Amino acid sequence: MTRKRWALAAATAMAVIALLAAACGGDGNGEEGGGTLQTVLDRGELKCGVTDSLPGFGFKDPNSVYSGFDIEFCKAIAAAVLGDAEQVQYVPASSQARFELLASGEVDILVRVTTITAQRDVSRGVDFAQTTFYDGQGFVVHADSDIRTAEDMAGTTICVAAGTTTEQNLDDFFNARGLAYTPLQGDWPDPQDQFLERRCDVLTSDKSGLAARISALPNPEDYRFLPLTISKEPLAPGVRDGDTRWKDVVNWVVYGLINAEELGVTRDNVAAMAADPPNAAVARLLGEPFKGSEVADLGFGVDAQFIQRALMAVGNYGDIYARTIEQLGITRAGTLNALYTEGGILYAPPYR
Amino acid sequence: MTTMTGGLPPPAPTPLFFRRGFRNLLAQGVYVGVTALVIFYVVQALGGREYGFGFLNQPAAFDVGNQWLINVDGTTNTRFTMYLVGIWATARVVMVTLLLSTVLGVAVGVARLSPNWLLSKMAMLFVEIFRNMPLFVQIVLWYAIVLFGLPQIQNALDLGDTFFLSNRGIAVPWPEPDGGLYGGPEWLTAVWAAAVAAAAVAAWFVRRRRQELERETGQPHYPNRWGIRLFAGGALVSFLALGLPLTIDVPVLSGTDYAEGLTLRPEFTALTLGLTIYTASFIAEIVRASIQALPKGQTEAANAIGLSGYQRLTLVILPQALRQMIPSVTNQYLNASKNSSLAYGVSYADLFFVANIIQNKIGHAVEVFALIIVTYMLMSLAISVVMNFLNSRLTLTRV
Repeated sequence: MTRKRWALAAATAMAVIALLAAACGGDGNGEEGGGTLQTVLDRGELKCGVTDSLPGFGFKDPNSVYSGFDIEFCKAIAAAVLGDAEQVQYVPASSQARFELLASGEVDILVRVTTITAQRDVSRGVDFAQTTFYDGQGFVVHADSDIRTAEDMAGTTICVAAGTTTEQNLDDFFNARGLAYTPLQGDWPDPQDQFLERRCDVLTSDKSGLAARISALPNPEDYRFLPLTISKEPLAPGVRDGDTRWKDVVNWVVYGLINAEELGVTRDNVAAMAADPPNAAVARLLGEPFKGSEVADLGFGVDAQFIQRALMAVGNYGDIYARTIEQLGITRAGTLNALYTEGGILYAPPYR
Repeated sequence: MTTMTGGLPPPAPTPLFFRRGFRNLLAQGVYVGVTALVIFYVVQALGGREYGFGFLNQPAAFDVGNQWLINVDGTTNTRFTMYLVGIWATARVVMVTLLLSTVLGVAVGVARLSPNWLLSKMAMLFVEIFRNMPLFVQIVLWYAIVLFGLPQIQNALDLGDTFFLSNRGIAVPWPEPDGGLYGGPEWLTAVWAAAVAAAAVAAWFVRRRRQELERETGQPHYPNRWGIRLFAGGALVSFLALGLPLTIDVPVLSGTDYAEGLTLRPEFTALTLGLTIYTASFIAEIVRASIQALPKGQTEAANAIGLSGYQRLTLVILPQALRQMIPSVTNQYLNASKNSSLAYGVSYADLFFVANIIQNKIGHAVEVFALIIVTYMLMSLAISVVMNFLNSRLTLTRV
């Protein structure tokens, strides 16, 4: 081939690269500019990575309607950022694939009963926002089982979801006591089915999740919890690493809903309170003027009423809890998830 | 300069786009451009991370079930060891699948050609059903049948206190190393195994020697018969001489599980069953086609010299068909070995499943998937080497 022909071929290759690069450049996830917040605002829709099979937290009914504690937080964030709680696209995220979905930009946020761990925080491309639910790992057995203590579980088969912190806690717990066990890890089919069919003797997971699953069964009295909590499981929304602007918004929506409960702002009275704030703290939270003062823009990148919109859509933390988790028979009073004023550890920084 | 009269007008220059040279260049340019772009994007996507396999040497912190002959826990062992446990789980499934699917496939393939109408139609039905259903669907279906269909452990089917059937698995008696009648050490079993191996080698040499004699003298020297006699005799005599260094472990129900014996767990059973039947349906078609590809004269000649139906099949038809089969069957073996990664769908902790757990805990997706790819590649290469060796031995025409 002559030099001229080489030049022509090279020019064609360059042209193709330039064309394709231009064509592909348009659909990047836009992280370079305004981060996830800008992406969500531009798209007009929030992509929320959730679970679709855990009643009370994230559940998709036969009509494809999602409901649950995690779903309410997706709605709250969508309402705060976009002004419409319905502008959410729920993306079912398996326990195995969730971090990849987040890191690759398939979802904007992960609200999916995910435990904060150092490992995940540092190496899985995820940053955790404020914990929404404090949980711990428990065990459930068939009511007619002989298993009553940790020691009774020696030599049994234990069903556990693959790739979870639960799996690791289980190993730590049994090895610390020198007990042998056989795990049966599943992602699909659901380990719960294997437990119900007595393929395994024990089902282990986060206590709230277990309670949710058992209460959804036709005969919950056929199952019994062991009086054991073997781990700390703070469940928190996850955002992509290094996107502080987006994390700030998510954090303060959660803080806002907790603060609202403390201040007595509920879904029912938020409109009235916005029209006539009883005190400066409520006015600041709702982004309304109080006694002629200016509304300060704190610089979240969304307007000052974002928490107000979240409250209008889903109500405060207690409202959400009552609508979702309490329906499973898990009471809140006296647990870690009560407000700090009521003996729990929910303590949100002040909004000012 | 002379003008030619009555000649054709000079051809109009071909438009650039229709010139062959330009089109070739354009196509090559597009190809190079797209390739360069793909490489660029891959490099960019993979850049900026830290790579290394050091994480494989850290403690695993998870355990897996479905271990056989080994007992490896995740606290004291590294992630790599757990990965080896996964490879062992895959190897078990693949070995059993290849063996059973070959036997079943040959039987069904031969049955399809049977003059017996019912038998051949049943074989056809088998092939058409299992060949045309997605493998994953079949495996999940088998698992559902085993999990939901078999009784729960407290109602386990007890077949003569020897076999048990429940959704905890199928428990069967299994040989166990033993000191024998004189209460010797357990390694007597290994001694016996060595004696059996020695008998097998001796039998092989005797068989070959007798084959040679047969060829040289033209007199029958019964090489197969003597080979088998020597092997069986050696195994039996050494077994008795060592004082029966092997017991049969009969399973018993203990609590909510089996003890002793061998338990085929539902996950293993469903996966192996699904893989075996699916692969067998393809092998059956290969066997049928290879037999039908033989000239009809072979069958007629076998009939003419008075061979029975069984002799015709084993002495004339199958040995020749085998040469046709092996390359295609090798493909099926490779497919089956890679399809074993569908273990993921039935919670069977094979190498892919274990690697996924590791990846999910620690990240390093690129390294983990590179490891998975290399492992499957090595497995495929190993199967290919064995099958190619077999192929070269069989295609060799010895006079």
